[in-house]
Amino acid sequence: MIKLVPPPPSNQQATLKNSIFSLPNQKSLFSYLSLSFLFSPSKMTIEETGPDHPSDHILDWLEDSVPFFSSFLDETSNSSSINCYQWWDENQDTGEDLINGCLSNSPTTVVSTRQPNTPTSHHLPPSDLTKKRKAPDDSVHKKSQTHQNPRKNQNNQSKNIADKGSGAVEGVTVIKKSVGNKKNASKSTGNNYNNGSNKEGRWAEQLLNPCANAIVKGDATRVHHLLCVLQELASPTGDANHRLADHGLRALAYHLSSNSSSSSFSSYSSTVSPITFASTDPRFFQRSLIKFHEVSPWFAFPNNIANSSILHILSEESNRPRNLHVLDIGVSHGVQWPTLLEALTRRSGGPPPLIRLTVIAPTVEHDQNTETPFSIGPPGDNISSRLLSFAKSLNINLQINRLDIHSLQSLNSQAINKSRDEILIVCSQFRLHQLKHSAPDERQEFLQNLRKMEPKAVILSENNMGCSCSKCVNFEMGFRRGVEYVWKFLDSTSAAFKGRESEERRVMEGEAAKALRNVEGEMNEEKGKWCERMRNVGFERKRFGEDTIDTARASMRRYDNNWEMRMEDKDGCVGLWWKGQPVSFCSLWKLGIKSNAL
Amino acid sequence: MALAINNPFNDIALSNYSTSTNNSDDHRHLAGNWNYSSPIVDWETFSGTHNDFLDVFDSTICIENPPFLTEDRDEEDEFKGLRLYHLLIAAADAVFGDHKSCDLAHVILVRLNELVSPSHGTNLERLTAYYAQAFQDLLDSAPVSNKTHHHNHHIHHRDDHTPTDFLAAFQLLQEMSPYVKFGHFTANQAILEAVAEDRRVHIVDYDIMEGIQWASLMQAFVSSPSAPHLRITAISRGANGRRSIGTVQETGRRLVAFAASIGQPFSFHQCKLDSDESFRPSGLKLVKGEALVVNCMLHLPHFSYRSPESIASFLSGAKSLSPRIVTLVEEEIGHGPTIDGDYKVQFLDSLERYSAIYDSLEAVIPMKNRARALVERVFLGPRISATLRRIGQRRWSTAAMEENCLWGEKLEKMGLKTVKISFANHCQARLLLGLFNDGYRVEELGNNKLVLGWKSKRLLSVSIWGSSTSSSSSSSLSDSE
Repeated sequence: MIKLVPPPPSNQQATLKNSIFSLPNQKSLFSYLSLSFLFSPSKMTIEETGPDHPSDHILDWLEDSVPFFSSFLDETSNSSSINCYQWWDENQDTGEDLINGCLSNSPTTVVSTRQPNTPTSHHLPPSDLTKKRKAPDDSVHKKSQTHQNPRKNQNNQSKNIADKGSGAVEGVTVIKKSVGNKKNASKSTGNNYNNGSNKEGRWAEQLLNPCANAIVKGDATRVHHLLCVLQELASPTGDANHRLADHGLRALAYHLSSNSSSSSFSSYSSTVSPITFASTDPRFFQRSLIKFHEVSPWFAFPNNIANSSILHILSEESNRPRNLHVLDIGVSHGVQWPTLLEALTRRSGGPPPLIRLTVIAPTVEHDQNTETPFSIGPPGDNISSRLLSFAKSLNINLQINRLDIHSLQSLNSQAINKSRDEILIVCSQFRLHQLKHSAPDERQEFLQNLRKMEPKAVILSENNMGCSCSKCVNFEMGFRRGVEYVWKFLDSTSAAFKGRESEERRVMEGEAAKALRNVEGEMNEEKGKWCERMRNVGFERKRFGEDTIDTARASMRRYDNNWEMRMEDKDGCVGLWWKGQPVSFCSLWKLGIKSNAL
Repeated sequence: MALAINNPFNDIALSNYSTSTNNSDDHRHLAGNWNYSSPIVDWETFSGTHNDFLDVFDSTICIENPPFLTEDRDEEDEFKGLRLYHLLIAAADAVFGDHKSCDLAHVILVRLNELVSPSHGTNLERLTAYYAQAFQDLLDSAPVSNKTHHHNHHIHHRDDHTPTDFLAAFQLLQEMSPYVKFGHFTANQAILEAVAEDRRVHIVDYDIMEGIQWASLMQAFVSSPSAPHLRITAISRGANGRRSIGTVQETGRRLVAFAASIGQPFSFHQCKLDSDESFRPSGLKLVKGEALVVNCMLHLPHFSYRSPESIASFLSGAKSLSPRIVTLVEEEIGHGPTIDGDYKVQFLDSLERYSAIYDSLEAVIPMKNRARALVERVFLGPRISATLRRIGQRRWSTAAMEENCLWGEKLEKMGLKTVKISFANHCQARLLLGLFNDGYRVEELGNNKLVLGWKSKRLLSVSIWGSSTSSSSSSSLSDSE
């Protein structure tokens, strides 16, 4: 609070001084006028030219100033003390928020309070069983019944609805309809995003990519600046951009601290690690996977294609019952198989006499955070027993082998114990890109070995994007590609969870973000390159069956409208796209003619 | 202080004129590098504020609630200051950068608004709040194409304030800082010296505002042995030029009344700018035998925005009239060979400038004072908006290179001659600043320019120009009279 100085004394110099430190009163407002002629050339000496006389006149110019000022000053005196404390409080709040933010960020052990999945149920797990959620679950179930009969899409659809009408209560049908309406309503907004490489609304990468650029250039000040800004804007629980900033910041800091001896980036890297599969409880892990399948086609779509393809291939076989051997080199952690098993019971000839499932589990060689995203589950996760009891309930003869091998390229027929009379189908999803593609070309080696196993078919699903390894691109470009991948994941997952926060969402996102932390290990290739590789080792691309395509297309209806399934007429692959950008592709391969000659 | 007034020359002689010329180059260097790790904002001035507070305690102002300046507090402030600094620069990059991103800018502004408020916190926090607001204005009115930028001028906050607020803020500004007085005094002193022998003086004033500058000149005139006749022509804007304190006519009436009250022979005229705010010299009524004075006050904290095109047309038009003297007050912008179109340098310069102004105000009135909040809201907020808009225009307009130098330099290019700042004028400026705070500096640049600065930051300059004697018809006429 400021105390007004008493009215200025008659002495002129005093007036000048006081006028500076006192708040305005009517006398001091124009007191400075007298200064101007203190030093006029003819009058260098100070004179007592009375300022009062002109000031009075000037004051008349500014009407009502005096009453206003008194009230203004009252206000000042009343409020200044309050302001002080508000200022304090605000800052304290900020501090607490920071602390809380850190705490909420810490890796909490997620305790599942929900019921464990009962392996005997062929339904998706009972999560929050609201009617809304139940409806889509049900529809999947129904679809799986229909996809063994090749039909035109329309027929399939009508069959679906017919099934519902007969088998389900009316209420379910109504809900199904309302879901459909919602999709239609969101279509109009969703389509706005489908303009090619529309970068609108993607701000996080506008900080992350320049930061990677600055790292490559060695511009430490700019790196520091961008990290500071990222730290301000990043949030593990905000929208997709905030989350991307959060994961990206952590990845950059990790990169910087692992590539330099200086600890200047430790302040960033000390932020707690995100939740990953390996840090979760096995039950929660399974629930997260299933929940994610329910809401996003990221993995559900390739799984769906693979399962349908396996069924289709079996249907093409002669009537003589043969054993089925599925080689699972994927990231589904078993979640995709109950649907297949159930579908197998429905085929005309019944399930094969024996179904062998050989799961190639990735081994943790180094820091699990640098491994391929989604590949490593938590210790103690054992879906085998659940699958087995589920198969038993369906009267299916299922055998599961889990192979812990050190390198995929060392796989061969002996390792998987291939028998002469079985139908071997290889299902490879999002794992092969971890194989080195040059010097040594592990990828080539693996595919050649795969060819030597003479599988009936190979279903290959991979990310449809370029390589990030240091042999192909510099760190900036590799990181940029990682950002692109993680953005698509975060953006689509945000839509999948309808923007709602959940632990399931965070664990999936944390797992995807490994791609940023392990830029070098993400040795992806684009679809064309994969196809070329498959052809080179003697595989021949086949088109997916019509029923496979129909089922896959139908499955897409339950997801966000920005998802798209794209048929590639040229190569017969099926692409999964998000907002007009390719995410992954699925392709079907059989032994080529060349191989028959061998 | 009274001692200083009694012995002004001792003071001046000891301090030996300019004390801060060597600092400005350092700043320019830093700004040119867009240096992140050592911000341009002078943190010393922030951390040093408690010293100024102590000074204030000793003075006549009594503060009931002393600021909480513990060690922790300072560190925390500084840390937060750095965070704000990085965010501001990121916002500038997002708005002005090669890859303009409204999305990113928006997110940064949201974050800034979480962190700061225009009415609370440290200098930098409040300043940041006004920058955030200015960026927001810029985004809201963002000219996607360059063509529309002329229509943005109406978004001028100044007009949003009530006349009472404006008046109060103006009064406070006068009390708290020497900015306005420095410009007026130095210009007036130069005018007094230039027309000392004349019997008739005609002043053409580009932006007369409330005319307060001329009241003091009149007083000086009437107290001189042969008070000349004074005629003032105020250049007024077209119909759209709204003003916060009255109109040009009201200003004229006040000046006429004031002149009458002190016995100064005086007449008042107006000359309207064209609709595009360009100036036509033929619109002026000139009388033989009058010493023509052109007064152009730009960038004073309380002045309204004028487009560069309008200023340029006024100055070139005024030059064609061969005035006896041109007095020019303008922002002393950081500039150099590399500044052209570089928004980063300009932005940092502005940040530095307003930080200095905030600091200088704080040195007189403590930071939690309502009065300062008012001055900041009424004058500085809009000024910051205008500054960012100007940076944006330079950035986005193709033919903007030439706007980017000081107006004084343009006057020189037009052929005007420098008029030396007198010793008396320099002394007067020193004396004036001495009344406020030690942080204010005055330095002489060239021989016709006085620069007002806060610590090492140059803020405002007055430069004096004249037509060459050979072409000065008015002066030769007056001599013959």
